Amino acid sequence: MRLVAAWLCVLLLTANAHAQAPAPLRWGGDAEGGAPFVEADPSDPSKVAGFDVEIAELVASRLGRTPQFIQIAFQSLDQSAKRRDFDIGLSGVEDIPARRQSLAASVPYYEFREVLTVRASDRERYRSLADLRGRKVATLGGTMAYDLLLEAERTHGVTAVSYDEDVHPYSDLALGRVDAVVLDHVLAERAMRRNTGLVTHPEGLATGHYIIITAPENTALRDQVDDILRDAMRDGTLERIFRTWNVWNEDQPVLFSRVTNAGSALATGIRDPGVGSRTALRAYLPSLFRAALITLALSCLAMALAVGLGSLIAIGRVYGDPVTKMLLTVYVEVMRGTPVLLQLFVIYYGLASVVRLPAFIAALVGLGLNYAAYESEIYRSALEAVPRGQLDAARILGFSNLQTLRLIRAPQAFRLALAPMTNDFVALLKDSSLVSVITVVELTKQTQIFATNIGSWLIPGLLCAAIYLAMSLPLGYLARRLEERWRMPGQ
Amino acid sequence: MTMPLTVPLTVRGLRLSRGARVILQGVDLDARAGEVVALMGLSGSGKTTILRVIAGLDAPDAGEITAAKTGMVFQFHYLFEHLTAIENVTLAPMHVHGATAADARARAHGLLEQLGVGHRAGALPRELSGGEAQRVAIARALAVDPPLLLLDEPTASLDPARKNDLGDVLRALAASGRALVLSSHDDDFVREHATRVVVLANGVVVEEGDPRMVLANPQHAATRELLQVERASRR
Repeated sequence: MRLVAAWLCVLLLTANAHAQAPAPLRWGGDAEGGAPFVEADPSDPSKVAGFDVEIAELVASRLGRTPQFIQIAFQSLDQSAKRRDFDIGLSGVEDIPARRQSLAASVPYYEFREVLTVRASDRERYRSLADLRGRKVATLGGTMAYDLLLEAERTHGVTAVSYDEDVHPYSDLALGRVDAVVLDHVLAERAMRRNTGLVTHPEGLATGHYIIITAPENTALRDQVDDILRDAMRDGTLERIFRTWNVWNEDQPVLFSRVTNAGSALATGIRDPGVGSRTALRAYLPSLFRAALITLALSCLAMALAVGLGSLIAIGRVYGDPVTKMLLTVYVEVMRGTPVLLQLFVIYYGLASVVRLPAFIAALVGLGLNYAAYESEIYRSALEAVPRGQLDAARILGFSNLQTLRLIRAPQAFRLALAPMTNDFVALLKDSSLVSVITVVELTKQTQIFATNIGSWLIPGLLCAAIYLAMSLPLGYLARRLEERWRMPGQ
Repeated sequence: MTMPLTVPLTVRGLRLSRGARVILQGVDLDARAGEVVALMGLSGSGKTTILRVIAGLDAPDAGEITAAKTGMVFQFHYLFEHLTAIENVTLAPMHVHGATAADARARAHGLLEQLGVGHRAGALPRELSGGEAQRVAIARALAVDPPLLLLDEPTASLDPARKNDLGDVLRALAASGRALVLSSHDDDFVREHATRVVVLANGVVVEEGDPRMVLANPQHAATRELLQVERASRR
């Protein structure tokens, strides 16, 4: 009895101790964004390093809490903040009006310049966006730089190319796939170290700031963060951190004095009237429809390729010699057994040293090759479902193998394959959203950009879903009609 | 062009095994123009196999076959399901023999009329009754004008009235100078409509001759057994 009581005491004490220990400060960032912001520590990949990591640690320690890193994709940081997946978010998060409207945002802690990077050979030719009329200019989607490029599309006739991360814009620039990159000078400087033959024009196209975000209702934490940042600006801690990571420059003291002298007025002062969601809707609708057209064109062309190639594979697997059959089986199993995302990466980036396919073509080829494997399986089983007796009848009547295939077997197989083919086409319509990883801005990607810019997924999400449905529902209807007309016995 | 043969079919010493199972072990068979030859035998006696070998669908292990151009009507018809009745009939003349669409259609219409299914020309196979589908299948086989017509179990799914109609059709076809070889379980039909019966047992011909004689007075035990089984199954 005494023992039990003692145990209970211990339990209660430990439980109490747990309750009193401050909760860890969960901070969200994207380690894929890399150094000098947040990167997996090369010496211990389970840890992260970078100036944003040190700032997060600074905030945590001054709040008396332990920092706990949570990996969040860069493009999802805002949404995750709203969902309270983390307490504070920082990973080169830019200070843009939409973000200030939909989240609680800290004072700026770093000032960056948007800079233009080109191939060294183009140094004189491309000095500004105005020099890049009709050329492709790459950047990271959903950033100030992307908005800058959209503006330049209208004013200077450049073509903006959006990437999901900041590594491939520069490698594609070196490869000649794009002619310039516009991004934060921090990213540009890092990229210059990785890629040879690139130069960055030092003058900025625009100025921006990095901030820390919290959930919109968590203004109390935001105010604490503001105080900590100001203190760290005054006492030199921030400068030390930035110097450690080689990103300190003469712009920062100016920013620091502005922020520390402005009091709390600065944050509210920056609060931009912003764009109303209705205005934003009007502004984004045309690009959403353009993106829908790309989705539709890409899906139709990829499906055409898949149908053509899939038919050949199916015929080869039904009529071919053992070696052909085996090779085709290997193709089908490899394409079905590996993620289409991986295949797209390999075709676009992996093969870039051999053949430099334009993004749309790479997307078309990737989806087409992948779906050809699925289509071929449908056609193969449909061909084999045509009764042997009909093939015997055709043989006695004197038809050649090719004639039998063309006149008797394939037309019936096509009718059998129609329903599963329609299914696949609808799936392809949706899978086509994957090609945004190789810079094709299709419907989902455009929606994501839209959502990031207005700071909400609700309207863009519903619109996007409506457009997808508008494309897939008529297809299903058409297929059902054809199926009824061509109904085969036993179906 | 195939030479018009008075003996469109000569088979000598036909042998065929499937693995260890011996199906035909030395079959001789002739069919002359104007004849309706009925192959009879218990299930598994090799009737369908003989027809398939003659049609060139299966290769024999040994034996000689001299056959004129051959048409075949299958037990389950195997019409091309995506084509209408008349398209089933015109397909081979147009694509194998180079007939014009108009000629092929005119001839197909004539055949379908002659076989009593002219009014079903536009129907899809799935819309036809068993008897209609069989006639379309006969028309399809006849469309390329073969001197030899093979029919596998043509009576299998017909009611008695339809069987008689079919018998009349077959005798008319034979009378026009064709040789017909069919397999059947139906001794009444064979007695009524065949000009000769060939009884198979264990892969050889055990008895053959005028059906009225052979089936009324069977000489071989296998023939007697066959008739008993057939009659028992009809009761």
